[in-house]
Amino acid sequence: MKLTNTFKSAGLAGSLVMGAALSAVAPYAMADQEYLLTVTRPNQLHVIDMSTNEIARTCDIPGPFGTGSIAMSPDNTHAYVLSNGTKDIYGFDIRNCDMTFKAEQSSPTLQVISMQSITVSADGTELYTVQNPVKKHRDRFEVMQPRLAVFNIEDGMNAKVVRTFPVDRRITKIATTAQNEVILGGADLKAINPETGDIRMVSKLANWEKGPLWLPPDAFAMHSQGEQANEYIMPYVTAKFDSEEWNFETAEWWWGMSRVDLETGEAERVETIPFEFIIFNFITDPRDSNILYGSFNTLSKHDISKNETLAVHELGHTYYDLNISGDGKTIYVGGTSSDISVHDSETLDKIGSIQLTGDMSTSDLRVATIKD
Amino acid sequence: MALSNNNSKRALLSTGVLALAGLASTPLLAQDAQQIIRDRCLACHTESGTAEAPSFSRISEQRKTPEGWHMTLNRMIHLRNLQISTEEKRALVKYLADTQGLAPEETEGYRYLLEQDTNIVETGIEPGTAEMCARCHSGARFSLQRRTEQEWKYLVDFHMGQFPTTEFHSLARDRQWFDIARNDTAVKLAEQFPFETNAWSNWKAADKSDLMGRWRVTGFIPGKGEFDAWMSAAKTGEGKYDLDIEGTYADGSKLAGKGNATVYTGFEWRASLTIDGVKMRQVMAADKAGNNLEGRMFLAAEREIGGDLMAVRDQGAADIVAVQPSYLRSGVSTELTLVGQNLDGEINLGEGVAVEKVVSRSKDRITVIAKANGAEGMRSVSVGKANAELAVYSELARVEVQPANAVTRNGGADSAMAKVRANYRAVGYSAGADGEAGTDDDLRLGYMPAQWSIKPADEVAAHDKDDKYAGMINAAGIFTPGDAGPNPARKMSANNVGRLAVVASVKDGDTTVEGEGSMLVAVQDFVRRVLD
Ligand code: HEC
Ligand code: HEC
Repeated sequence: MKLTNTFKSAGLAGSLVMGAALSAVAPYAMADQEYLLTVTRPNQLHVIDMSTNEIARTCDIPGPFGTGSIAMSPDNTHAYVLSNGTKDIYGFDIRNCDMTFKAEQSSPTLQVISMQSITVSADGTELYTVQNPVKKHRDRFEVMQPRLAVFNIEDGMNAKVVRTFPVDRRITKIATTAQNEVILGGADLKAINPETGDIRMVSKLANWEKGPLWLPPDAFAMHSQGEQANEYIMPYVTAKFDSEEWNFETAEWWWGMSRVDLETGEAERVETIPFEFIIFNFITDPRDSNILYGSFNTLSKHDISKNETLAVHELGHTYYDLNISGDGKTIYVGGTSSDISVHDSETLDKIGSIQLTGDMSTSDLRVATIKD
Repeated sequence: MALSNNNSKRALLSTGVLALAGLASTPLLAQDAQQIIRDRCLACHTESGTAEAPSFSRISEQRKTPEGWHMTLNRMIHLRNLQISTEEKRALVKYLADTQGLAPEETEGYRYLLEQDTNIVETGIEPGTAEMCARCHSGARFSLQRRTEQEWKYLVDFHMGQFPTTEFHSLARDRQWFDIARNDTAVKLAEQFPFETNAWSNWKAADKSDLMGRWRVTGFIPGKGEFDAWMSAAKTGEGKYDLDIEGTYADGSKLAGKGNATVYTGFEWRASLTIDGVKMRQVMAADKAGNNLEGRMFLAAEREIGGDLMAVRDQGAADIVAVQPSYLRSGVSTELTLVGQNLDGEINLGEGVAVEKVVSRSKDRITVIAKANGAEGMRSVSVGKANAELAVYSELARVEVQPANAVTRNGGADSAMAKVRANYRAVGYSAGADGEAGTDDDLRLGYMPAQWSIKPADEVAAHDKDDKYAGMINAAGIFTPGDAGPNPARKMSANNVGRLAVVASVKDGDTTVEGEGSMLVAVQDFVRRVLD
């Protein structure tokens, strides 16, 4: 088993190539290798080789399951996971499961949880999370202001907060831009400078000014898995009423999103996908930013330039999230249960399945690309 | 059964004296209870005030029902690691409900929660508060509490600390949930449900009558039907009674059982009985004079399965407590039973209603064959000095299914949770003076026997064959949902969930009138709560 795992982790698909790899560390054979990362109950991080769709290795995460939120280092060799009811953050070298980082955020008198929010700085030296602290007095709780907390990754297994800055409540997924701003996915999309704490508005949602006929968006990013298109997506539902009679029946219902280009830190906001069914997560095709895929009870494909749903595939059960291969050809649908469903991005036909050892529940489905 | 004969009954009439005797012993109990708080709670809570009038942080500035206190203490035990014996816990719930409870009128409109009658769509919760606070649990849960503003605010803080995802849920993330809850909702709740009220100070000061004695009881047990009974309550301690019940179902079969009751806050009757081998619970409220009890009786193991319960104390006076059935169709000879106590004298069923035959007659039960003529409407029934009402109608206009909206849950099979069932009854109405059904002047005739069936709620439910998979209803109107777990026979291996219409068909002369209720069959809910 060990040997097979090594082959897989080297990312060598065909047997001919494998022979070459064994004989020498042949640079031509070491193309970029993609791994699918997810967490299952009770609490394991799986590293799945996307060239074979086999589990390359499984890393045990200490403590009870959190939410399975995963962030990657910029070079994608390390994954950071929320564990222990989202109180703790653990880091792993996904090439060998070595645990390299641990931050315990709570103490008996201070409960600190992170709601999905973890990301690593552009230079790979710092880890950011939005903490939601509650002071536990002896006979009451005191709710405190959330804050962006900064950890030094170098501090390793005993990481402590090195800086904090106050932020809004209700922040879920966060992401780092090339300029090293941290995108904060809350009621509005904002970005914070983790050196100074300065916050700027990226995309107004709760406070948008679309006029009275638009329903304020219900925006929520439980997952945001834009690594293949280098973006951050905050999806939302909204409706355009036909008059101030506020008739919910005749209103046009739309899926919308605020999509941040993590290269520039700029966002576009579009309401383009007709609300025909529930979609829990969207990803963008890395080849064409107008093509999006969504999952929940269906896997669907949309062209936002034409407001069109191109294809819909009924899934066998609910899948919360999805991701895509770097070449845009293969879609992986996961979350909820213990199987990842593999689909052709052209037809959406199911072409495979990856069985895991436990339920993914709310876990992320991330792609780590290790370049050599 | 010592109390069921007439001699001992008379000895019980002087309840006022006994009530005062009860009050005299209260200070001693209070000191005991306060000592339990000192011993068990002060590791975390603090004491201030004087020795005679101590004040305990977080504890002394809220009032709630016995169930409310029970729930808080459960949390102290399970989440805060409070160490306390069962006896101490029981004594504390009693003491706290007695000294920091709700006055009878403060519970009005929300008693369904205490009666564990969960198949109710709440109305009358202020919409803003309902959106903020009544999406995880009932609105009655907080409407049955009284707190200072500070305590309502601490309650919000508790929610945020205990359930940190609260502000991220749908219907929370679209607003500044925490700020609104703390600075707006809590303030409103303090105005609507304040700690100090006249109702409570008056009730605290009022003489409360002891509830021992002999009670004439009428009620309904699903699967068994309507019954009438005698229940004796023999006092065993302050607010504690041993119960003995004996009675008859409408079909003539007998019922008997024993149990005990605790009375909280001077009027909250909570009893556990075993009736013919089945454990039942009674939740009733006494009126201010302590002569009438009203509430619900349900299976201890299945609170959804239950029915109305009423008890009238035997004070030696004549009383009709129920007319069964409560309606008479014009021109049709029908058997009627008058349930009561000390029934002497002439039977009069009201204008145009003739007693064709007296089938049987005793002091507490009279069965007659009666025939009504004349206009629709309520008639005054009397036996000697005792009075009651009877509805006379000519045509059944509509049938209301109770509960109108119900939730049941899959269970059983390999699941750890039992199925959550529901029991149904049909209520008939005639059209009233305007001849139009569904208007304010409809005449409520009462519960009627019905044939029960289910059908899919709509086209989608029909397409998914919800009526085939989600469950079944029996002749007694008891709905049993399907097994838990995915069903491979269903699309996407769905669970046996579904949306159904529950149909009652009531025969009226040559026609049948139907009524419908809506039923949601849902998946299991793994949380067992004291109060919803
Ligand atoms: C180990 C610590 C601890 C002990 C012992 C303890 N409590 Fe508490 N209590 C707390 C904490 C913490 C809170 C605030 C969080 C909460 O409401 O659960 C609290 C809150 C409360 C509240 C307010 C609840 C509300 O709904 O606002 C009441 C009432 C209370 N406790 C009663 C008691 C009583 C009575 C006892 C003893 C029989 C007790 N507690 C023992 C820690 C404790
Ligand atoms: C996210 C779901 C949720 C929301 C929203 C919510 N509650 Fe609760 N509430 C709970 C749960 C769960 C408990 C049970 C706590 C326990 O185990 O004792 C509870 C308990 C309570 C209790 C009983 C506490 C006691 O010990 O007496 C009250 C009263 C209450 N809630 C009021 C409110 C009010 C007021 C609001 C709105 C500000 C609210 N709840 C909003 C979930 C919720």
